[in-house]
Amino acid sequence: MSFLVQNALLGSLIFTVLSGVIALGGRSLLFHKLAQVLLVVSGTLGIVASFILFLQPQAVLQISLASSFFPILQLDLFGAIFYALISLVSVLCAIYAIPYLQSYQSTYHLRSLNALVAAFVLGMQIVILSTSPFMFMIAWEVMSMASFFLVMSDRSHDSIRAALLYLIMTHLGAAAILIAFLLLAQGSLFVDFSTLADMSWTAPVWMLWTAFSLFFFGFGSKAGLVPFHVWLPEAHPSAPSHVSALMSGVMLKVALYGFLRVLLFILPPIGVAASLLILGFGLLTALYGVLYAVVDRDFKRTLAFSSIENIGLIFTMLGVAFFASSQGLQALYQTTLVAAVFFMIAHAIFKSGLFLASGLIVRAVHSRNLELMGGLAKRLPLFSVLFCVLCLAAASLPPFGPFFGEWMFFQGLLQSFSSATPLVSAVLVLTFAITALVGGLAIFAMVKLFAISMLAEPRSAHAREVHEPPAASELFCVTVFALLIVALGLYAPVVLDLIGGGILTASRFELIVGNSTVQPSLILWLLLGCVLIVWILRRLTSRASFERMYHGWDCGQPIDASMEYTATAFSAPIRFFFRLVLRTKKAVQVEPVVASNTWIATRSMTLNLRSIWMDFGYSPLGRLLIGCADQVKKIQNGNIRFYLLLIFVTLILTLWIAL
Amino acid sequence: MITILMIVLQVLVVLLVAPLVTGLVRWVKARLQGRRGAVPWLVYFALLTTLKKENVISESRSWMFRLVPFVVLGTILFLVVTLPLIFSDGGLAQIDLFVLAGVLALGSIFLVFGGLDAATAFGGMGASREMTLATLIEPAVLTTFAGFAVVAGSSSVQAIFGQGMTVVSHPALLLSFAALVLITLAENARYPVDNPATHLELTMVHEAMILEYSGPYLAMLEYASSIKLTVFMLILGNLIWVQPVSAFDLSTIGMAVLGVLVTVVVGSCLLALLESSMAKMRFFRMQEYLSVAFFLAFAGLILTLIV
Repeated sequence: MSFLVQNALLGSLIFTVLSGVIALGGRSLLFHKLAQVLLVVSGTLGIVASFILFLQPQAVLQISLASSFFPILQLDLFGAIFYALISLVSVLCAIYAIPYLQSYQSTYHLRSLNALVAAFVLGMQIVILSTSPFMFMIAWEVMSMASFFLVMSDRSHDSIRAALLYLIMTHLGAAAILIAFLLLAQGSLFVDFSTLADMSWTAPVWMLWTAFSLFFFGFGSKAGLVPFHVWLPEAHPSAPSHVSALMSGVMLKVALYGFLRVLLFILPPIGVAASLLILGFGLLTALYGVLYAVVDRDFKRTLAFSSIENIGLIFTMLGVAFFASSQGLQALYQTTLVAAVFFMIAHAIFKSGLFLASGLIVRAVHSRNLELMGGLAKRLPLFSVLFCVLCLAAASLPPFGPFFGEWMFFQGLLQSFSSATPLVSAVLVLTFAITALVGGLAIFAMVKLFAISMLAEPRSAHAREVHEPPAASELFCVTVFALLIVALGLYAPVVLDLIGGGILTASRFELIVGNSTVQPSLILWLLLGCVLIVWILRRLTSRASFERMYHGWDCGQPIDASMEYTATAFSAPIRFFFRLVLRTKKAVQVEPVVASNTWIATRSMTLNLRSIWMDFGYSPLGRLLIGCADQVKKIQNGNIRFYLLLIFVTLILTLWIAL
Repeated sequence: MITILMIVLQVLVVLLVAPLVTGLVRWVKARLQGRRGAVPWLVYFALLTTLKKENVISESRSWMFRLVPFVVLGTILFLVVTLPLIFSDGGLAQIDLFVLAGVLALGSIFLVFGGLDAATAFGGMGASREMTLATLIEPAVLTTFAGFAVVAGSSSVQAIFGQGMTVVSHPALLLSFAALVLITLAENARYPVDNPATHLELTMVHEAMILEYSGPYLAMLEYASSIKLTVFMLILGNLIWVQPVSAFDLSTIGMAVLGVLVTVVVGSCLLALLESSMAKMRFFRMQEYLSVAFFLAFAGLILTLIV
């Protein structure tokens, strides 16, 4: 049995590599399809390997090639959760990519794109499997570099800008992680994680704090934690949609994996201050991300901001977990940690699904701008139902998967309110209230996304002309994600049992936190039952056929799509209520048609969404750097004697310091 | 078996009483404002008539337009089935406050979808406002519920509303109760949040969303809002003095139904009085109302934790 699993694990890596090699094989579409098929095989093997591990939770799978020289790769239960997610999403993205990329042959360079996707997946797989900082960092870099090239794969000016911003941020993060590892391991990158853990338990406090801060920045910037998130809303939307799905659905989870691996398995328990730091940044991220998700008008950027919000929620949960652990609230620690992992799984599923769906919408409408969409529910009914399910799930509504993640978290908080000291209670209550606000705003963002893109009349000619349904395999992938998110809700107890959160399940149908139970299947069937009863009653009491079609109420003049509410108008109240945070710049320009009459005028409005972090953080910093560089440039005056003097001075200084 | 009977009976009573509530509020309001007003039971006839009318469907609608009335009424029915409104065992133990808040939100969302799908400016306007209200009331709802849950020692609706916990027996709940009143007004689109009587586009929220609905669908949506108001009134009533009964025999059922009627009549009169004595708030001042609701709820939660 174990032999099979190990081969599955090794096989999944080998097939990923093969996929990348085959992708480079040639221009023919055959290679494109073959590469995706190989990626599917690789993912399937990965799922098999992780599931066998779920069923034997004590086992640890190892791959050791040429024993002592080559680094060992291993998979434990904790890694298996993430490995399964990577495999699952990459399988579905590969199936999706077959027809999706064919329709973009002129935009993308298929050969390199497929090879990069394979490298990207391989990087993520090895990050999970690595057992030493050395292997970890190499895989991390493979993942980062591959995704950097993927972001700019349409070679447009905006994508390249986004990719460069991403490159800078991801490398600052990687550098931070590398320094932290070097610091803990006292300069050697080849120790394995368990030795590293031993070393860090005896490390002095300042070193632990430095390492923690560096890890927090490194993994946090990769995960999109505010204020290190600036790259995310630019980079994720620029990539092809299946890559966006991989980046948002899985890569962010890999960052979380790294963070958790370090905090749970390597560093000694972090104290109150560090956990409050995580909690604070988590809440800030969640609130900031969700506000921008509400007001943004770009379809994929809304999704990216929603990812930031979800990551914020997960960090909040983790922060509460570590805070509880430092306060000795063991029950709360377990509950919130499990809730965080569960929510992570849910997020990987629904966000990947949403990004895949976004690819189909953007392709149909030829724009990412929400203001040009609309009316798609009438034109693509089946697809819009799936999209609706994914949006409702993303809004954390019952009876879908993410709701139960939040439910566990809220229950955990609620039940610890009174069992703790006043200070702890205050932290928990505040967290509860802010998370509730974030939850409400998340609903707004998702409703906007669905309703503006799918409902009402089309707002542009392209949206009006959408008739062709998406290809079967594209639809299949979105369907699978939609079904999975329903199943994740329905079988939440089973899933929790599998991933080692059995403390929270009472039976195969019930979740239990303290003295509260919830039965997901009951909620689902009861809701469906109520709707069915209403349907029956309507049939009994009124005639279904007694109806006619007519245009909407138009106040006496024909209505068209320009009178509908747009995404900007829909989110206007929120923009108004949160204007202090959002600081949008609105300018209305009025130009009279005839100079003598000011009443008849053409009006145009521009509304700029600004980012306070860009305006007050990154841009001044950038200007400062460039300013310093300009000053330094003054000594590069082209005079060779001056350069010789500089070398001489440097030599003297070096000698003086060295001796 | 008894539980199922109780639930069925509870559903029947609430469904039957619901239109009366809307009618009563309108009648009392008319009386208070010096008008004669239509008889309270006119609403029953109005609903039945609307049900028989022709269903006019907007040409720009999608499948969502048809789904909305079913889901909206369905989620309200879910509340009636799961909450212990009349019988203390009438609720389901597995349903807790977070589920309740989620289902309420689900109902609001579908109403919003319906408003937007009609593709008119009114629908969008109502939808945007309703969504804003539903979003910003959410923290107040959850925090209020948390306050109740802390006092009850459990968050299941059964433990909170079904076991005779009242403001009188637990004075710590006073602030949370006040917050719940504000939430009730906001959730049911009443003064000062929304004006249920107007059809003036500048002021309406709920009515704007259902503007394109007619015939049976309109009846369903109107009925849903009646039931929702009734459910909230019963919850508030139960939290003051009327206890849900636990036994299942003729006399207690009689008492329970009487209790429901009294709650509903008193509640309607109070609501009418409130709506006659204050003005609707400007929509862009709504954040003040919602903040007050939230801070009341928050203070209520703190109070329950301290006491």
